[in-house]
Amino acid sequence: MKTIDLTEKNFDRETADKDGILLFYKTICPFCKILEAVIEKFHKKNPDVNLFKVEFEEQKTLSQKLEVERAPTLFVIKKGRVAAKKAGVMNLKELTALWEQN
Amino acid sequence: MERKSSFDIIIVGGGIAGMTSAIYAARANRKAVIVERHVCGGLVNSTYTVENFPSYISVNGMKLMEKVHEQVLHLGVQVEQVAEIEELDLKNLMKTVRTDESDYTAPVVILATGCDPVRLPHLDTCEQVHYCSICDGPAYKGKEVIVVGGGNSGFDETLYLLSLGVEKVTVVELLDKCIADKSTQKEVTRHDNVTIHTQTQIKDVGIEKGKLKTASLENTYTGEITKIPVDGIFVFIGQRPNTELFSDAVTLTDQGYIKTDRDMQTNLPGVFAAGDVIEKRYRQIPTAMSDGAVAALSAGTYLRKNDHKG
Repeated sequence: MKTIDLTEKNFDRETADKDGILLFYKTICPFCKILEAVIEKFHKKNPDVNLFKVEFEEQKTLSQKLEVERAPTLFVIKKGRVAAKKAGVMNLKELTALWEQN
Repeated sequence: MERKSSFDIIIVGGGIAGMTSAIYAARANRKAVIVERHVCGGLVNSTYTVENFPSYISVNGMKLMEKVHEQVLHLGVQVEQVAEIEELDLKNLMKTVRTDESDYTAPVVILATGCDPVRLPHLDTCEQVHYCSICDGPAYKGKEVIVVGGGNSGFDETLYLLSLGVEKVTVVELLDKCIADKSTQKEVTRHDNVTIHTQTQIKDVGIEKGKLKTASLENTYTGEITKIPVDGIFVFIGQRPNTELFSDAVTLTDQGYIKTDRDMQTNLPGVFAAGDVIEKRYRQIPTAMSDGAVAALSAGTYLRKNDHKG
């Protein structure tokens, strides 16, 4: 599962015109770990979806810019733009619905 | 349905009890699978510092569980994480665990489904009510929080929140005294930015534009209500056993824990249970490991007696 680590510097370039799932996570965070496993399962069924990750505490400017207050927070990116945002853990059905509805 | 697989032992739940069962099963050359609804590690994943696990003076709970998970995988156990269990058939000789993706069958099932934190339903709509300070604590640096629960978890998490730079912590306990270890209570009360209210509960909260602003604390003895400013609430008031999937088949106590004998056998032949979900006095990492080992060893004996290979 190829995941692109985003920073303030590469964010615009890497996400431009792309569809993907963006996860703000922390290394020591049980709910982030659960959501990462859900995303992995989602990606097996949707291998064309790009996966992006941002370390919430290391990338503070980016977190503030996208108004992320907690980890995990997940974004649905469609054509390079934020289509949906959801904080907290979710299951595969919820993630699939969030992706399909936006 | 994508596939159907047969095993010697299906372990439902990948906390420390389930993973210990898996280690014992694999070492006994049994084909085992762990079916876990979240990720392996269970409640230990939410424990920032573990200091009562023999071998480490101090270790992060999630890191400790990652090591155990590695060991389980190294031994060849199949691990299915974020599996949505839809049905459990435990009454037949061959048991079936049906998930959203697969059917697993085996003559033995070990139930190690653990417990979940008890929630405060009247606060469920408030986004600033949390059940994990590791996950949500950092957002409250320089802010004021309430910790609900005066047990060990409540006091441990209070110390963790203080270490994050939370400005003020108000501990709220419904009983007339806090029941956390004396040493932990002493450490917490050393901080002058911690206030403890016993015989108290959160009656209501004030929310403005989606943000928590105030909490009304009710003294259950006098009836007096005090409104205090607050930015976040962290709840640690115990756990509830996860038995909904099989409560119609397995004998439970009045509190909902699984009844087992000393070999971790439930009322159903071939169904064993281990860890926090069973009826017992102490719920600790080593006691869950002990249950897991006993359940797997008993499962091995059951398989041999019933002519399943080995």
